[in-house]
Amino acid sequence: MTAKGLPVWLMLAEMALLVVAGPLITGVIQKVKARLQSREGAGVLQPYRDLAKLFRKGTVQSDSASGFFRAVPVLVLAATTAAAALVPVLRAGPPAFPLGDALMLLGLLALARFLTAVGALDAGGAFGGMGASREMMVAPLIEPVLMMVVFSSAIFAGTTELRALAAYRGAWTSWIVAWRAADFLGFAAMLVLLPAETGRIPVDNPDTHLELTMLHEGMLLEHSGPGLGCMLLASHTRQIVTLGLVSALFFPVGHTGATGGIGLLAGAGAFALEISLLALFLALVESSYAKLRLFRVPPYLGVGFACALTALALRIL
Amino acid sequence: MDCSVALRRSSLGDARALDSTVRLDRPNDLPAAAAALTLQQSMALATVVATDETASADGDLKVRYVFEPTAPADDRFVTLLVSVDAARPEVPSLTIAIPAANWHEREMRDLFGIVPVGHPDPRPLVVHDGWPAGTFPLRKAFDGSRRVPVHPAQEFPHLVVEGEGVFEIPVGPIHAGIIEPGHFRFSSVGESVLHLDARLFYTHRGLEKRMEGLSPLDAFYVAERICGVCSVAHGLGYCEALEQIAGAAVPPRARLIRSIALELERLYNHVGDVGNVCAGAAFHYGTATGSRLKERLQQANERLAGNRFLRELVIPGGVRLDLSTDVLTPLEVTLREVLSEFDELMGRIEANPSVVDRLDETGVLSHQAALDLAVTGVAARASGIDRDARRDHPHAAFTLANPPRLQVATAAEGDAMARVSVRALEARESVRLIREFIRRLEPGSLRGNLPEPVPGGRIGIAAIESPRGEAVHWLRTDRDGRVERYHLRSPSYHNWPAVALAAETAIIPDFPLVNKSFELCYSCTDR
Repeated sequence: MTAKGLPVWLMLAEMALLVVAGPLITGVIQKVKARLQSREGAGVLQPYRDLAKLFRKGTVQSDSASGFFRAVPVLVLAATTAAAALVPVLRAGPPAFPLGDALMLLGLLALARFLTAVGALDAGGAFGGMGASREMMVAPLIEPVLMMVVFSSAIFAGTTELRALAAYRGAWTSWIVAWRAADFLGFAAMLVLLPAETGRIPVDNPDTHLELTMLHEGMLLEHSGPGLGCMLLASHTRQIVTLGLVSALFFPVGHTGATGGIGLLAGAGAFALEISLLALFLALVESSYAKLRLFRVPPYLGVGFACALTALALRIL
Repeated sequence: MDCSVALRRSSLGDARALDSTVRLDRPNDLPAAAAALTLQQSMALATVVATDETASADGDLKVRYVFEPTAPADDRFVTLLVSVDAARPEVPSLTIAIPAANWHEREMRDLFGIVPVGHPDPRPLVVHDGWPAGTFPLRKAFDGSRRVPVHPAQEFPHLVVEGEGVFEIPVGPIHAGIIEPGHFRFSSVGESVLHLDARLFYTHRGLEKRMEGLSPLDAFYVAERICGVCSVAHGLGYCEALEQIAGAAVPPRARLIRSIALELERLYNHVGDVGNVCAGAAFHYGTATGSRLKERLQQANERLAGNRFLRELVIPGGVRLDLSTDVLTPLEVTLREVLSEFDELMGRIEANPSVVDRLDETGVLSHQAALDLAVTGVAARASGIDRDARRDHPHAAFTLANPPRLQVATAAEGDAMARVSVRALEARESVRLIREFIRRLEPGSLRGNLPEPVPGGRIGIAAIESPRGEAVHWLRTDRDGRVERYHLRSPSYHNWPAVALAAETAIIPDFPLVNKSFELCYSCTDR
């Protein structure tokens, strides 16, 4: 930990790294899922190829969409990318110039979700409206619980700034053997929430073509070409940011390594390992379960809420 | 009109001694006669066939209402024949009393211009927006090779539910998946379905018109291609109807091979359909396994008959290819492996609470609704109706002197889980039957004699248990032994209205699951 804190350039480099690596995580999840279904599956680089294809294409837009609709993908991508700047990747420690804390991160993700839903309503399609209404039904059940999980760690570290929090936590201990009950409960809540926040089974199904069943995908139906590319890139980024949040809150092992080039490399390696394990978890869940009936989603997320609430209570008491 | 009138039999072209036709003196006698059959003899509507006989001595249009007994293993068809004045083509509607007649009567109005008086739904069914009024394609005067000008049209009047918070959700006819076209108009409050208006017939190709005037052997190829995944069943149904007319005897070996083909078709459909239901529930393992097993079975089909859909294995008079030991041995290996993997898949579905929870109580079709709509096949059996055309209207190997015993699987719940379970039981029964048929194969000829030309002016009716249920084929030859009129009432034709009904018990995001648990054909319905 340097005395003057993490430089801003490092944080921006981490942001870029997350945005660039986001599609890879999706590719890995897709590949693992395919292998679990005894399929060969597309290569792990397929999401990049899809993005490259989309950014080369033209845009087709609904007649009923307003000018705002065109701005939505850029705004969503901007908000999500900004959130990526707040996640520690290579190094932990109090930043020299704090860009924002975990609440800011969750707020930016919520903003992106809100903009996506408004854009879907703006286009006027039936499926967009349906997807938006379902997403808005699920979102209020996810976001407060995520905040509670963050608070249960933040109370203990005395800061909501993720890099400082990770550093404090790493200094204390980050090994499971030293976890307290609150850590286990918070982590359990996180595992329940992860599929919901990343739009995966059992809450949503990213692979479906069945419009009537869609949540997140339904809101993307009216987008096309570069706009759709931005929305997809934002989804990939949101996924890796959420996984990064879990890593920062519960496993900040790698972030506290030595300074210098080797320390950065070790941090990157540890981060990649953690993210990959979480991605593997998502792929396993997605291959083992069916999607929940829509009205069973609130009770499912309620389990996460109960865990998070208990974790928070244990920290305060 | 009492029951005795309906029992007064006369021979009006029926090729089988079991079948009978009752000619009604006046169209207005129809409701009473139909009530006598349905209420007193508990018969169900099997099909309705209209014919244009204005060129014949009668100079009229005729409508035949074909009924079948609902009691098991009662292989009869009773036809009520109504003569319709060509100048004023009207018949009383049966739809209020017999809901299964709904689409038949609307189709008759669209294609023949015969108006079912008192029908509650004035909207066209088969012909779509822009079709010129007063043009009836199945009238003999209509030239099928001629293009019809498209007239400007109003938007189709879908049934609209009004009220606060009611939304309309239009889906299709173009869908995101590679499936057939159909438009579904949901009226919903929140996620609950209030009403579903399904509009089909986007793939109406006028196949029945196309077959008219063809030699019966040529028309076979059209009948077989009405639908891809029911090729064997539809080809067989046409052949059996034709063989009734021709009085041709199919040799025992050919009947066994026909039944093997029919069960192989059922097997690959049922296995694939269980996988498709998993896609509706987003259970990826099930989807992938279902399509993998279906692919294996279809590749086995290709090795057997040179065609993944087993086309042209069944031909008029018999079968085209022999099944020798060197193709049957690999088939048995495939069946054994597929069956064990399928059992594993069903085990995983039944042991996975997240899947069972999606299927249980989803898309319930009540027993009474299934009876009223004359629903058939898996959907009917899953709602507690013990009907299977293999037993009730024996065909192929089931007409042998010592027919194989068929276990008809039924369930009482009428939900998606019941339909999946019935499908699984039937797939296993199909494997058992195929093995039994193979054991019973004795050397013998593959084709019976089919007289050329086939006798004219006769009617053949065959009911085949296709993968989707009972398909009723109605064929009549003209004076020269050519096809005068052919009509297929596919199982999907009677089952589609049941899907709309079952959907109303579900929420919007469960509709794909409900739909896939019925797994109906569009092209069979549209023809």
